[in-house]
Amino acid sequence: MYRYDEFDAAFVAERTSQFADQVRRRLSGELNEDQFRPLRLMNGLYLQLHAYMLRVAVPYGTLSSRQMRRLADIARKYDRGYGHFTTRQNIQFNWPKLKDIPEILSDLASVEMHAIQTSGNCIRNITTDQFAGAAADEIVDPRPVAEILRQWSSLHPEFSYLPRKFKIAMSGSRHDRAAIRFHDIGLQAAVNAAGEVGWEVWIGGGLGRTPMIGKLINSFVPNVHLLAYLESIMRVYNRYGRRDNKYKARIKILVHEEGLETIKGQVEAEFAEVRGGVLTLPQAELDRIGIYFSPPDFDLVPSTKLDVAREKILNPAYGRWLENNLHPHRHPGYASVTISLKPIGGAPGDATAEQMEVVADLAERYSFSELRVTHEQNLVLPHVDVRELLPVFEALSAAGLAEGNIGEITDMIACPGMDYCALATARSIPIAQAISHKFASPERQNEVGDLKIKISGCINACGHHHVGHIGILGVEKKGGELYQITVGGDATENASVGHILGPGFVAEAVPDAIDRLVDAYLAHRQGADETFISAFRRLGDAPFKEALYGAA
Amino acid sequence: MAEILTGNELTSGATVYLDVHGNWVEDQQAARLFEKEDAPARDEAIALSKKTQRIISIDTEKVSVVDGRIVPERLRERIRAVGPTAPASPDGENWDRQHLGEDGHVSI
Repeated sequence: MYRYDEFDAAFVAERTSQFADQVRRRLSGELNEDQFRPLRLMNGLYLQLHAYMLRVAVPYGTLSSRQMRRLADIARKYDRGYGHFTTRQNIQFNWPKLKDIPEILSDLASVEMHAIQTSGNCIRNITTDQFAGAAADEIVDPRPVAEILRQWSSLHPEFSYLPRKFKIAMSGSRHDRAAIRFHDIGLQAAVNAAGEVGWEVWIGGGLGRTPMIGKLINSFVPNVHLLAYLESIMRVYNRYGRRDNKYKARIKILVHEEGLETIKGQVEAEFAEVRGGVLTLPQAELDRIGIYFSPPDFDLVPSTKLDVAREKILNPAYGRWLENNLHPHRHPGYASVTISLKPIGGAPGDATAEQMEVVADLAERYSFSELRVTHEQNLVLPHVDVRELLPVFEALSAAGLAEGNIGEITDMIACPGMDYCALATARSIPIAQAISHKFASPERQNEVGDLKIKISGCINACGHHHVGHIGILGVEKKGGELYQITVGGDATENASVGHILGPGFVAEAVPDAIDRLVDAYLAHRQGADETFISAFRRLGDAPFKEALYGAA
Repeated sequence: MAEILTGNELTSGATVYLDVHGNWVEDQQAARLFEKEDAPARDEAIALSKKTQRIISIDTEKVSVVDGRIVPERLRERIRAVGPTAPASPDGENWDRQHLGEDGHVSI
């Protein structure tokens, strides 16, 4: 894992000290709220519905066991003993007190973490595939480049006051597990005709009130020019992005209004100016950073075949977990284990301090002290020897973390919604919990197979509802909550935005509505191999609309 | 429809309401009701509260009084008064709302 150099350590320490002084001045009355608010937001401190919320960056979704242990410690010492992992691979604490923030930031800095650029109109935490550095299908580990982008974008003086926030996601694999086509910039690893590895660059994707699928602006940018190319995009956006209307300020609107070819021309003109200059990334520097991400010292594991079918008979919960929660590893004899933060009836993405410590212990014992956070609000032990899966499962079971539901209907994304969020117009977590209870049976989940439900409590779409196979959007209507249901969204390389099928539902009716959609899928699918999204693409809206609203 | 004044206390972030004695308190039921004709008094209370620098995000909320109880028009405000409605864990316990600390009592 990357370790801070002197510059990183110094700037985080300076910023921590600076904000501690700003908090002191706010509490003493030297600063008023109008002066303090932008300062606290620059340090990830929001005021939410019930209390302050501190959003801590998890750079490219990678955590060490030591960092996870410190997050657990912060949760217990300064919060209510839990944290919430988000769709941007960050963690949020929902109940901190203002006077404790300097100490929290100091504790974070001691493990090379911070909350800088987790708010505001700047380049936010860069996210990646959660199996980065481990996946069997990976072209390249995206994290060395992600780290270089982190260094480039941190406190970048030119891009600290952009028209709007800016999000970058990267995938080192052809299979997009980071939703890169729904980010301001998506970087997809690519190989050119000469066999060199570089990046496809996608721009103008996003969710929110105007969902857009990113557009390919360049099919191959080599590492050496990547910073210059991204800087060129940022300059065009910073220059021409709208500042008169926050709802039209994201780059997706600029690309949509001006057209890809116009933007591409502007980017290329800028790139011609900066290419080969100070932003040139020497291979030696990439190699130097790459050393921090060198693969761990894997054992030579004898060929081990997992007999999942047998395990499902002997220990159904373990068998189900093996079937759903493992991901193929690039090193023989290892697997990546996804730890579900979606127990039946739980709040998606929440983990207690005790659970975080169990996960840190397991990372130390079984995964070279490495962890990942997924944008689907789960955790990952990236490198587990397959001969040690049973003790890992048993330890997770004892901690309430062994739900074998990854990719299934109860593995939902849900934003905090109106139970926590000041912007929300409806609740999300109770909807997720009700659906989770409705589909609690492992047999039912297994029968349904791969189905992603994503729930947002407002049009800002933090719960990614537009790209759920089934999406649920909570809105306010006549003082109450109403939930619109969409079908057909997909956040992967086969990106699509879901369709609204008809009028919304009151909260109590949502689980039954989802059940009817699932029944329609099961009735119409061509076999168990045809997933929900495949069936939807073949069948179109009609059978699902009928399931929700009856025959026309 | 009457209004109440609500905000968040600076140090804890806790949701608070202005009561009839000029104290910012946790109990929504203790909130002072401002009728239409009380607009000058409401505006003065907002100005004095801002002057303390201890209450942030001050806002008015429309409420009704039903059977002697204050009922905010918006669900959001009903949730703000009591805390998250979603069980915190599969065991079904809800989180309590945020409370004021010892140094969190503000008056105008």
